[in-house]
Order: sequence, then structure tokens, then C-alpha cells
Amino acid sequence: MATSPALDPRSWNPQIAIVPFTLDNGLKILVLPDDRLPIVSVQVHYAVGSRHEAPGITGISHLFEHLMFRGTATLGPEEFSRRLQAKGGEVNAFTTRDHTSYFENLPAEHLELALSLEADRLKHLKLDAENFETERQVVLSERKLRCVDSPFGLVEELLFATAYTTHPYRWPIIGWDQDLRRLTLEDCLAFYRRYYQPGTMLIVVAGDVRPEAVRELVVRYFGDLPGSGPPPLPPAPEPPQRGERRAVFKKVSQVEAFFAAFHTVGLGHPDIYPLMVLAAILSQGRACRFYQEFVRPGRAAELEAVMYPPPWTAADPDLFIIRAVAAPGEPLPRLEADLWGALERLRQDGVTDPELGRAKKLLRSQTVQGLAKTFYRGLMVALFHLKAGDGTLANSLLAAYEQVSAADVLRVARKYLTEDNRTVVTLKPVSPAESQELGPLF
Amino acid sequence: MTGIATVQQAVLDNGLTVLGVEYTRVPWVSLAFMCKRGAETDPPDKPGVADWTAELLTLGTARRTQIQLAADIEALGAALTARGGWDATYVHLDGLAEDYDTHLATMAEVVQTPALAESEFALLKERRRAELTQAEDDPREVANRAFTRLFFQGAPYGHGLRGELHHLEALRLEDLRAWYHKQFVPGESVLVCVGLVPFPELVQAAARHFGFWAGGGPASPAWREAPDHLAAPGIYLLDRPELTQSEIRIGHLGLPRSHPDYFPVRLLNYILGEGGFSSRLMGRIRSELGLTYGIRSTFAWRRAPGPFIISTFTPAENTARAVREIQAVVREVREAGVTGEELAEAQSYYIGHFPLGLETPRALARQVLNLGLHDLGLDYLERYRERIARVSLAEVQRVAQLHLQPEKLVTLVVGPGDRIKEPLAEMGPVADLQGEGGGFFLVDKFHVIVCDNTDTCEKKDKPLGAIK
Repeated sequence: MATSPALDPRSWNPQIAIVPFTLDNGLKILVLPDDRLPIVSVQVHYAVGSRHEAPGITGISHLFEHLMFRGTATLGPEEFSRRLQAKGGEVNAFTTRDHTSYFENLPAEHLELALSLEADRLKHLKLDAENFETERQVVLSERKLRCVDSPFGLVEELLFATAYTTHPYRWPIIGWDQDLRRLTLEDCLAFYRRYYQPGTMLIVVAGDVRPEAVRELVVRYFGDLPGSGPPPLPPAPEPPQRGERRAVFKKVSQVEAFFAAFHTVGLGHPDIYPLMVLAAILSQGRACRFYQEFVRPGRAAELEAVMYPPPWTAADPDLFIIRAVAAPGEPLPRLEADLWGALERLRQDGVTDPELGRAKKLLRSQTVQGLAKTFYRGLMVALFHLKAGDGTLANSLLAAYEQVSAADVLRVARKYLTEDNRTVVTLKPVSPAESQELGPLF
Repeated sequence: MTGIATVQQAVLDNGLTVLGVEYTRVPWVSLAFMCKRGAETDPPDKPGVADWTAELLTLGTARRTQIQLAADIEALGAALTARGGWDATYVHLDGLAEDYDTHLATMAEVVQTPALAESEFALLKERRRAELTQAEDDPREVANRAFTRLFFQGAPYGHGLRGELHHLEALRLEDLRAWYHKQFVPGESVLVCVGLVPFPELVQAAARHFGFWAGGGPASPAWREAPDHLAAPGIYLLDRPELTQSEIRIGHLGLPRSHPDYFPVRLLNYILGEGGFSSRLMGRIRSELGLTYGIRSTFAWRRAPGPFIISTFTPAENTARAVREIQAVVREVREAGVTGEELAEAQSYYIGHFPLGLETPRALARQVLNLGLHDLGLDYLERYRERIARVSLAEVQRVAQLHLQPEKLVTLVVGPGDRIKEPLAEMGPVADLQGEGGGFFLVDKFHVIVCDNTDTCEKKDKPLGAIK
């Protein structure tokens, strides 16, 4: 049977076309033209995240992200979202440790509307005390949802706060409760003036657009912005860990659990790829080691090795995390000891060829699947640009996974998964009465 | 691919329907097998049978053990998953298009010759015990499950999709085998393929792999009824003293997917609570009052009438105020209606957003499964935007008055009773639900029931950090 070239997998080209521009004011733009669907993803990234904060104002990047939706000289609160949503747009934003990102995915014909509204809120943001207070309450509710009342939110916070001693990754992106309560509108306005400038921005436009047309629009709406932004932060290296750290967190829980973290590398480091392969060998799918040894026989309710995958890996050295939830009746110390035993075996014997092949193909599949989404294609290029200094690394991802060898996996397992480099936080269940005696949660 | 996906159909001699979309954006294939019976046919007192059966299909076949099957599939970078839903049970196999033929053969093997082995069943039961125990720690899960259970009062949509802790021992392998042999029949099943595969080739391969499958049967009749009784309207409290925030679920019975008011109700619901910052509920409860981070209303569109539910959470001290405000918004929309501008925005949202929902094979497969499940017609996606555009303001006003029923609202609050009960009681009697062994007793003047429930809840929020 004759097959049209479009329906032949071999004719597929995984490369993302990237057309870069820089305006006179320093604003960088990456255009990713792709006419397969009549849609566009407009993304405005600011190179400021929780790592740029300091104790006392933790959470300001994320709270400020919320404030960017609260209106301008001409738009009322949330009018920004309403206008774009009315065109079919998906409108949202997110804050990470390293950056704050705003996006609109919408029909390509509304590109100009999205860019003009992004420029409007950047130039004419209007904040008042009432708006600010409402949004502070919203974020406090968000913190309770994600951290305080969620099964493991506070355990994860303690894990980061214990694993990092000096690096800003030790506080949560959403901020400490007390900081959220004492932040002021003035703090936010100072933050806005300092960071929301062309020098810290990256605009990515992916989808059914012509690069020249995008350039013209960006010049029209953003060309007159002054300011280069603050100089980049000096590096804040976390001192190498010199011995295991342990902590206990008691809360009302039906299950016992422990979370462990090992310091590894940031997005720009080549070891990220063998680390991802290692994580897949350990815990992706149902033929993986953790599933076969612990989950399938009912010893662990959950057991995962988690590394934020590229491009989500942090810019500075990130953590390789193991989340272990004991099944009812399984003693946690035994589960932990057996888990370290399993990792030690891997560190001794390495991984088999079938394990390596399986993990690499799973990662290839994951990458290919992601490339189906215009939004994600834009994010890949943007986040590599922001955190590793080179957006074209997105196009090397498939090859980078392919090149990982069994020796690479063994090397990173031996290098990073050591006891001295390990932090373990244990969740110990208590009754509601005991929990109350320990004091309030926030 | 153009903006509109063309859905093609073939029916094999044994009655199996094959639906395909040729998809070229990435070399991927999303295969899905749907048996059009789900957890609504779980035998009474054996909640979870459909979903457990689905999972057991993936845990070995007559030819391959669990580990062999998983290793073979994952060696190709693919993923095999299965679940029971309401009205249907699904098996998904997603992988690279270069291995498409192997994937289709594997799907056929899993569906037609599952091992349904005792050893895997015993392990599955222990894993479910662990999962259901753990779910008790997640207030959102607790609230979703408790509401379903409370609201439906033992009717077919009123139990746990994934099983219930206190009914675990009642489930036996024979129940799963019997369910599989009864419900998995070609005439009540659909095979969906969205991928880089020409449709004629798909049909030939499907005939090769599925054409000789006879299946069991006869399947249970499709359940389309409204339950004969539901929870009495009013306020119910599930005390969780350790929580700092209350989870709130407020709802009443909704409509079946086949209801002629589907399109106007969808638009109405967008305006009420599904349209994010364009919705009345988000505008009032979050943007104006700052009482919550998120609020949403949902009509669960099923073969029989599903629930209409408003879901939110709020710091404990705001609980009664949030409930009062939500009720006021529902009343206002019902009585005063919506504006022409709101309707126009809702319509242009659905019309403009349409191509974004067709971007990935998995999203497209979901749409195709849905049209297969509810017999929406092959031209459904092509006509969707026109149907949205045709809805008039008068129709939306009519359905608001007809289908929003503030006097029938059942309100469930999961939160710290000592802080929230008194303020809630100012609005009316508060019935206490008390937790016991994963289920709960309803101890109040209405009646006493014991139940537990798990709605499937996909894990989310993985990579994005804090989201607005």
C-alpha cells in the first residue's frame, strides 16, 4: 500500500526552528515558526524566581506573578485573562526557583492582542492596597492547599530546607507563611522596578507566525522600554555536603514515608542526562527496579526516583529525590535499609543493556510526545536559554539521551548517590491530638 | 493536519467499531480500547471490579507474565495503562509510531487473552489497600470521595471507582473474571487509533488482530436512569481537626450527556464556574473576596445523569462565608441570568480554543473515545463550533432556570469541626459525618449509611512549580 510521506515516521524532523532577535534595549526574542496548526504560544519569561529572594521576602516572585493579573491603567483585575480567554486562549503563569513565566496559547490571529496586553501590564501595572491584600489572601490559601494540608508538602519543604544550607533553593517557591504575611505592597513595587525590565526578559513566540511579523510587533509594543535589569546574581554555591543529614516531621497521616535527596547538577551540566536515565531505570514504568522489587509486592505504596527533567531541571545544582511511602504494615526502617541496599547493588554492579535500552527509549518517547505541543516546544527552547544559556540545546535533547552509556550511568550513580551526599526526612504519623500538642501548622 | 481532525470509522464483522484519526505532527500512536461498560456495573458491595479488571488486564497475558509484558512494552518506550471509568473501561497503549504494528498486536493480546492470574490479583489487592489508605491523607481526595458517596446514596455512580477499603476483602478474582467475560464483547467495544498510521492500514491490521475475537456477553444493559433517591439537601460536615483549610463540595443532580440542552448548559457552566477568571464564581470568590485560590463548577456528563458539583477550598475561618457566597452566586445566575457579553465570550472561547484541544494524540484520542462512547456522530468535531455558535441568550437563560436548582444543593465540608461548625450552623442544621475505617457513618437525623469512595484523580502539578 502506498503511504504518503507525511504518514511515514521516517520523514519526521524533530528539529525546532529557532529565529533569534535582540532589540536595541536588550530584549531578547526567540521565534519558533511552525505552521502545522493555526495556533501560537506567546511566552514572556523573566529571569527572576525564588533564588533571587532573601529571607524575609520569600515568596515575593510568586506573589508578584499573581499581581501581574490584577489590572493596569486601562484594565480591571483579571481583565487580562478574560480578554484573552474570550479569544480561545489558555492564559496562565508559573514561578520556579529560577524564573517567572507568563503565557498565552491561542489562535494565531490573536498574536498582536497577546503581545499588546503583555506590554500593557509590564508598563502600566496598577496596584493598590486592596488588590494587594486580596491577592495575599489568595496566595495564603494556595500555600495551605499545596503545602500545609497536602500529604507531603511540608515534608518536601523540610527536605529542601535541610539539604540546602546556604543556597536560596532552601526556601519554597511559594514562600514561608510568615513572609507572605509581612510582605508589603512597597516591597512588591520595588521588586517590580528591579526585575521587570528588558534585560531580564525573554519573549518566545512559537507557532503559526512569521518571524519578521513578530519582530515588528515586539518592536512596536516593547521597543520603547528602558532599563537593562539588575546585574546577574553572583554564584551562590552550596558547600559540598559532608555527611548524611536526617530530620523528622510529625503529622497526622495514615502512612509512614521518607523522602531522600542527593545533590547533583544543574540544567547546563552533561551529567543530567545519565541521571535521567538512572531515574528511569529505577522507577519509570513497571519493568523498573523499584516497581519490581518494592511496589509490585506491596511493600511500598509509592516509590519513585525523581529528577526534574530537562528543561525543568534547576539552573544551579538540583536534587535527585527519592520519595518512598511505606505500604501499611511495612516497617519504614526496613524499607529504607532495603532501598539503600538496592542502590548499593546498582553502584556495585551497574546496569544491564536491556535496562539501559529501555530507559533510553522511554526518555526518547517522552521527548517526542512533548514535541507535539506548541506550548511545550516554546518552553523547551525558553528554559534552556534562560537556565543553560542556549535555547538550541532543546534540539540536542534526543541525541543527548541516545549517547548515554552504561558506564555513564554507573559513574553518576557512584558519584552522586552516596551516603555522605544524602539528606533524609522521615514522616512520622501522629494522632490529631498529638498533632495539636505539637503546635499549629503553617 | 488541518485545524479539524477527520474521524474515520470501520466496523469489523464481529461488531467491533474502529475509529481512527491520521495524525502527523509527531511520529506517535495513541491506541485505546474502550469497553462501553464501567464502574456503574460493579456488583453491589463489590466496588472496584471494573477498574481492578482493567488493571489486571495489564498484568500479564496467557503468553507473557507481568514482567515480560512490561519489559517488552517499555523496551519500545511505550506505556500500557488501563482504568475503569463511569460508563466505560479503557486500555491505553501509547508509543512511537515506528512500532505501531507491535503495539496493536500487544493491545489485542491484552484485551483478548489476559491471564487474570491469582498471584497478580493478590498483589493488586495489597497495592490498592496501600493506595486507598494513603488517599485518606489528601483532603481533596477525601472530599471528592465523600461527596460522591454521600450524594448518590448507593446508586450506581455512588461508590469508589478504584475500590473501597472496607470492601477489599469482598472482592475476589472470580468477580473480576466474571465481569470481564460478561462485559468485554466486540459489539459494545471501540478501538481508537490516533497516530501516524494510514486509516486503511489500521483497519486491515485491526481485522487481523481483533477480527476473530468473539468475546463473552451478554453485556449488562447500559445504565441511563436517574437514581430514585439522593442525599437530602443541606449541610454535611466531615470533621478533620488537623486541617487548616476546609474543602467544600456543593452540588445537585446534573444531566445525562444525551440531554438536548447539552450545549447551552456547557456555555452556562462556563459562565458560572468553568471559565476560570471569566467565571462568576472565580470572579466573586477569588478575585473580589480572596477567599480561595481556586473554584470551579462541573457538570459530569455521563450516560445517566451525573453530578453538578462546585469545588473549592478556603482557610477554615472563611468556610461559612464561602458557602454563603457560592450559594448566592448560583441563585443570582439562575434568577438574573447571564449577559449577552458573557455568552459571546464563552462561545468565542470554545470556538477559538478548539484547535488547541486537538494538538496531541492523547487529547485527540480522548475526544474520539468520547464521541464513540456517546454516539455523537463522526462529524461531531466538525460541527462542534457551529453548535456552540448557534446557542442563543434566551436558551441559556432558560437552562439556567431549569437546570440550576439552588434549593436542592447538597453541601459537604471537610475541615476542622471545632472552628467551622458553629458558623455553618447559622445557615441551617449541620449533619455530622464521622470517619471510620476509610468509610464514614452519617450520624444525623436523615439516615445512616456506611461507605467509601475513590474517584480516579490524575496526579498533577508535577513539573511546573507554583502555578498562578
